[in-house]
Amino acid sequence: MTSSISPLLEVDHVTKTYAMGGLLARNAFPAVDDVSFTLEADQPEIFAIIGESGSGKTSLSRMILATVAPTNGSIRFRGKDLSTLHGRRARLDFMREVQPIFQNPFEAFNPLKRVDRYLFTTARRFTKARKRIDVEAVADDALRKVGLSLAEVKSRFPHELSGGQLQRTAVARALIPGPSLIVADEPVSMVDASLRMSIVNLFKTLRDDLKVSIIYITHDLATAYYISDRIIIMQKGKVVEGGNARAVLDNPQHPYSILLKESVLSPVVANQSKAGAASTAGAEPPFHEDVDRRDRVSEAPR
Amino acid sequence: MKPETGGNDQLRGVKRNSDPVLRVTGLRAYFNMRYFGIAREVRAVDDISFIVRRNEIYGLAGESSCGKTTLIKTIAGAIRPPLEVISGSVEFDFGKRRVSIYEAAPEEIEDIRWEHLSYIVQGSMNVLNPLRRVRNAFLDFAFRHIGKSMPEFQRIVEDHLKRLHLEPSVLEAYPHELSGGMRQRVTIALATVCRPEFIIADEPTTALDVVVQKSVLAMIREVQQEIGSSMIFVTHDMAVHANMADRLGIMYAGRLVEEGRTADVFASPMHPYTAHLISSLPRIGDLSIKQALEGAPPNLSDPPSGCRFHPRCPLAMDICRRENPTLTTLAPEHRVACFAASPKVKPSGETTGSRLEHAEAMQ
Repeated sequence: MTSSISPLLEVDHVTKTYAMGGLLARNAFPAVDDVSFTLEADQPEIFAIIGESGSGKTSLSRMILATVAPTNGSIRFRGKDLSTLHGRRARLDFMREVQPIFQNPFEAFNPLKRVDRYLFTTARRFTKARKRIDVEAVADDALRKVGLSLAEVKSRFPHELSGGQLQRTAVARALIPGPSLIVADEPVSMVDASLRMSIVNLFKTLRDDLKVSIIYITHDLATAYYISDRIIIMQKGKVVEGGNARAVLDNPQHPYSILLKESVLSPVVANQSKAGAASTAGAEPPFHEDVDRRDRVSEAPR
Repeated sequence: MKPETGGNDQLRGVKRNSDPVLRVTGLRAYFNMRYFGIAREVRAVDDISFIVRRNEIYGLAGESSCGKTTLIKTIAGAIRPPLEVISGSVEFDFGKRRVSIYEAAPEEIEDIRWEHLSYIVQGSMNVLNPLRRVRNAFLDFAFRHIGKSMPEFQRIVEDHLKRLHLEPSVLEAYPHELSGGMRQRVTIALATVCRPEFIIADEPTTALDVVVQKSVLAMIREVQQEIGSSMIFVTHDMAVHANMADRLGIMYAGRLVEEGRTADVFASPMHPYTAHLISSLPRIGDLSIKQALEGAPPNLSDPPSGCRFHPRCPLAMDICRRENPTLTTLAPEHRVACFAASPKVKPSGETTGSRLEHAEAMQ
């Protein structure tokens, strides 16, 4: 654990088990099962975690954010075990380095609070800015990094901004403490197709210009292919495949990865003859297979 | 299942495939709101005309807050204040029965719903009552419309569930005992158990992950083919449309900006907004840089003058700022509302122009 240069984040054989059931029939359900990976400190990257709902992606992200403790194994951030994080000061120091972005920006922001308030609170807590003018300058600076400005956001309520603007504001808020790692849990799944790329491109900019590493959790293989450097594919808590994003997605090996890739709907109209019936009739058998495979694969009792 | 729908099937057989089942004409629906004494009018659906043919899936695309959901609510006749239909008509032709939604008596609409016209609502994985077993949901929705004795109703429901690859045991389950994909299949089963002629599906797969999404889509398509119904399929995901829709309508800020056969729209989009939607789709195996559309969708209570897309449009010309383009037929089955697409596109002097155009499109 005392290597000369410790990696940014080490996830070391991490397991999280939840107990299910009542008093009599208790089942242990492994949400995350023996997951390991490492993010290096000197090369910022976008690391994608891919899997369907219930595959343990979110549990893993919560453990990395140190809001949930792993049952077994350890997570080390810059060589420091997250389980030794005690007290407000240590927690704030950790939050300065690791920041979250959540799935649905409309739920992440309180609809009754003005959006800028989140930026100002974060600025007061994590930067030296205390006077209103300084705090506003910090917020404006962060917003400019995501292609917005304080003038656009100031004293607006969440419903007055579009989903894309709001999600970019969430990214700006996460940037205020100057983090070295951002954990983004399904950041684009609730954002419209036309705005989705603005968030995804923004992540690229953050990695290249601000040298921030990003853990990008998603079930969307297409955007993962587009931006990530490395990926892991999770199924029922286990990592089934991992490695260079392009290599894995171009040529998946594990049956589950292959199933995932096959399930991505191609945006190319499949030479649809005008009678839609003909084209789907041909495509039906594989669909059924998918249903059956999927039932075998993941609708097992939990 | 067969005897009770035999009559309908026969009628369908007689009708030509190109007959419209749904005809929407010049529909305008506004939200009229009053805050602090200031009246605001949100033009969520502004002069929309289109038809849906028998046995066809009509895809409706567009970003959130462009009025997709409002449009289908007005089509389904689910109009509650502050939503108000200003003008236009919605006519269904169910073969043996023609209904104009805004002229029919409320009882008549009640009668049509679920039996002829059903609705897979947005976020339908959360619409099942968590305190009641799935069986009760079927009883509430479908028992009255099917009009059979209880054992027979039971048999019909179980047969229908089997068709959707669901075990009859899901009837005894509470919604929380089912996975998201299964709940979605249950709501699809609910919406199709009466074999309706017309189904409206509002973002039925948005909350599902890719594997489940694919199987749910296949299931919707399969049921639609089997019972021969027509469908309006709403989602903002163009990849889903590419795989589902026979024809595609693109909405922007309460207006229909392009409409055509799905393959045509994807191969040669004529409206810059459509072109952007299609070109910005990321694909596996494609690393080219995808640009996002600048700007935000317009506020519908104060939409931009002229073409509502002009503030974000790369091709905006002078006329776009002043005049609203008419939805014009530029190729067979392909209507576009953009001055840059062709000089044939004329400004609409508001309502009148589009009515004329509408007549042309309907021939």
